[in-house]
Amino acid sequence: MANHRFTPVSEGESCCGISRRAQICLCVFLCLLVGVIIAVVAGVRLWHQPLKHREWNGTGSTAHFQDIFLGRCYIYTQLVQPEFRDRDCKKIEEAFRNAFISKDPCEVTEEDYHPLMELASQTVPCDKTVFWSRTKELAHQYTWVRQEMFTLENTLLGYVADGLTWCGDSGSSEMNYQSCPDWRKDCKNNSVTVFWKVLSKMFAENACGMVQVVLNGSLSNAFSKDSTFGGVEVHNLHPEKVHTLQAWVMHDIGKSPSDSCSGSSIMDLKSIMSKRNIKFTCQDNYRPVKFLQCVRNPEDSSCSLRT
Amino acid sequence: MERHPEPVHFLLSLDKNCTAIWEAFKVVLDKNPCSVVPSDYDLFLNLSWHSIPRDKSLFWENNHLLVTSYAENGRRFMPLCNVLYGRVGDFLSWCRQENTSGLDYQSCPTAEDCENNPVDSYWKRASVQYAKDSSGVIYVMLNGSEPRGAYPVKGFFADFEIPHLQKDKITRIEIWVMHNIGGPIIESCGEGSVKTLEERLERLGFQYSCINDYQSVKLLQCVDHSTHPDCALNSAAASTQKEVPSPYGLQSASFVFPLLVASVSVAQM
Repeated sequence: MANHRFTPVSEGESCCGISRRAQICLCVFLCLLVGVIIAVVAGVRLWHQPLKHREWNGTGSTAHFQDIFLGRCYIYTQLVQPEFRDRDCKKIEEAFRNAFISKDPCEVTEEDYHPLMELASQTVPCDKTVFWSRTKELAHQYTWVRQEMFTLENTLLGYVADGLTWCGDSGSSEMNYQSCPDWRKDCKNNSVTVFWKVLSKMFAENACGMVQVVLNGSLSNAFSKDSTFGGVEVHNLHPEKVHTLQAWVMHDIGKSPSDSCSGSSIMDLKSIMSKRNIKFTCQDNYRPVKFLQCVRNPEDSSCSLRT
Repeated sequence: MERHPEPVHFLLSLDKNCTAIWEAFKVVLDKNPCSVVPSDYDLFLNLSWHSIPRDKSLFWENNHLLVTSYAENGRRFMPLCNVLYGRVGDFLSWCRQENTSGLDYQSCPTAEDCENNPVDSYWKRASVQYAKDSSGVIYVMLNGSEPRGAYPVKGFFADFEIPHLQKDKITRIEIWVMHNIGGPIIESCGEGSVKTLEERLERLGFQYSCINDYQSVKLLQCVDHSTHPDCALNSAAASTQKEVPSPYGLQSASFVFPLLVASVSVAQM
């Protein structure tokens, strides 16, 4: 038999015409290449995987937050207070986001909100500031009727943020719509609480003339140091600007009063004011606000009109 | 003008696509501002429609602010401006420019310029729907201090709402004729244009009643007039009050009260 049918493979020759050594090198190279590709792909995927938002005990950010924020801002600047017509709502929204986006929602600081406060600063005319404590609805009904008076929620930032929830997460540029920190169960320095604290401080600092506060006389302590009013606002009134604080202690209709102008919590408030050199007056059931309560309870004997 | 954002509303569970509603509304902004008819808002209305709770309808004329205050953003009553398809347009104005595209931010045609303008057609369409969907006891608040008459014989209520009230869904109609605190009392129940309204409702076969200065609304008016004798409370507890000016536009003309009434009030305080 002739040898031409089988060409014996000599040492150093593969079937494809490349040397054994080259074959091995090629194999190793291919393996390495595959390995590198896998590593890169895995790395890229891990990098881009959205970090799962942390889980908190409070309700998540309000759905459509940005649209609501912008919409309310435009309503306020174009319709409610037209002297704000030239304020830039987009810039305000951006400054608001920057305060808490990509940050740990339990480590929000007052400074985080300073750029926003500067952009959206507002000074309420003298004698027109109305504080409230545990009487939100009633105070708002009052300023609805007396349109020249302002609660915090009648200022631009208060109006825009009222009733909303928001929080971000460090390492994510998204808002957390699943949950946000609860003040009691998670942390006190959360994005929402700090906002209202900073805003309340500014609201009090800018107040002038005679200021009013609507207090709840159906609670055992109409004035409480634990409230935003008692803990923040009262201490940020400027005696050079505010000459009098007038308190209206309102009692729920049909219930016997728990506290009043002569109660001890009001005595506390009075002494705080006198230490700060601000005159203090108090009225139980200030009539205009009482009328508001009567709208809901026209049949109550205390609401019966003589005519 | 609404001073507060809408509080959490029991209708908040509405499954509405706001973007789609806006797209449907937007078509009107491309039309000649004198060629917009009520039916141009049909698709918008379809998408934003929701029912009105029974006994909560509140119709009105010449007292927009008082009505919105009293309705408490839909919690106490639900006037048209608290229904979704009425709320979006409330206090707003809109129209395309006459000869080019884009909104006209300077001026828009009124009924005097042309009947088929975007804003009037919107309210006509919305009013018709609101009336059709109202049921139970129907309430109407009129202004008895309005010099032109409490019930405008030509107006949205007369021309677009009454004709579309559904007799089989309505139990009765209650009219409140409110007067500014301190007057003037121009018309009251059974008088002038109010009488015209009452007769019309009777002809149409509706059971109706009329109340002057409905107490609950009057108490709201008194927030601004707490020291006025008309707002004196029967209860003995009276704290000293400062008279505060009324910003409402419900200014009372100066009045003269019999000395007797004043001295009786003082004696009873």
